[in-house]
Amino acid sequence: MFEPEDETVERVIQHLRRPVAIDAGLDARVMREIAQASSPRRRVWPRWSAAAAAAAAAAVLGAVLVARPWAQNATRRADTLQFVLVAPQAASVALVGDFNDWDPARSPMQTAHGIWATALRLAPGRYRYAFLVNGVEWRADPGAPAAKDDEFGTPSSVVTVGGRGS
Amino acid sequence: MGINKVEPSDAELVRRVRAGDIGAYGALVSRYRDRLGRYAVHMIGDREDAEEALQDSFVRAYRSLARCDDPARFGAWLYGILVNRCRTTGARAARRRRMFVNDAQALNGAAHADQADRLDWTDAVERALARLAPEYREAFLLKHVEDLEYDEISELTGAGVSALKMRVKRAREQLQKYLREAEHV
Repeated sequence: MFEPEDETVERVIQHLRRPVAIDAGLDARVMREIAQASSPRRRVWPRWSAAAAAAAAAAVLGAVLVARPWAQNATRRADTLQFVLVAPQAASVALVGDFNDWDPARSPMQTAHGIWATALRLAPGRYRYAFLVNGVEWRADPGAPAAKDDEFGTPSSVVTVGGRGS
Repeated sequence: MGINKVEPSDAELVRRVRAGDIGAYGALVSRYRDRLGRYAVHMIGDREDAEEALQDSFVRAYRSLARCDDPARFGAWLYGILVNRCRTTGARAARRRRMFVNDAQALNGAAHADQADRLDWTDAVERALARLAPEYREAFLLKHVEDLEYDEISELTGAGVSALKMRVKRAREQLQKYLREAEHV
């Protein structure tokens, strides 16, 4: 047991136990870093054509596919893409793109503390996509290249999914 | 009465993250941010460095999630990552402080005496804490502020329980001494 004169130290302990305000933006920074830094390291197979290799490089740079280091067979899962948007103020976010006929009802995103996410399994190919926030606001993916050929005039992004032998 | 919101357990959230639900990791970050942040701020003594260490720890934990053997104890595992990260940051900061103090002493001589008069309790505590050896500060904060058991601290730090008890005792003695000195400045 500690001596009674340790009152000073007990006061220190109570002082240090008070909550410390941590920057509220830290959560979003962590999630952004995870989404960006853990982009897939796609394997370039020797028999790929230069165009396919370029497509894979574009996917590495732009896709928000999140590598899952615990996956037993990352190669086979490489066409499952995780789309992530940090939007703490949003009431709803849907993923729309070439892969779902731009239908917001087909890929609603789930949220946890303002981080919206959904995963899709996509066949090799090039896809344009965007996030539809609150049913009205179109947003491009800040972590992916912008689509240059969007005929609808709304912001969108592009992801190229490679594949073995594609 | 009312409807109680049942939060998913750490194990459940880890399972979801491993299944590809990155949003579930956001819930873990939110759950542990403030508690771990408090430890980092007190351990490192600089809020900006502490938040950087905290952010880095969360990212490292995500990348190493496969190595979290017991998802139900995700919090303890995360603590271990942060404790190590704070040690690295603390060592760097100590080197910076030594350089700064040497420069300041050369420039200002004994000008610090006046500043001591203006110390309030918060400043006094922060300064006393900063004067502790890092291993004493670490043991003291984990035991008395974060309220961990010695066994848990031993697991986190790699130090034996008897060594930890000694560190906590020394930390208490030194804090008392430093705060008394501050009162009499």
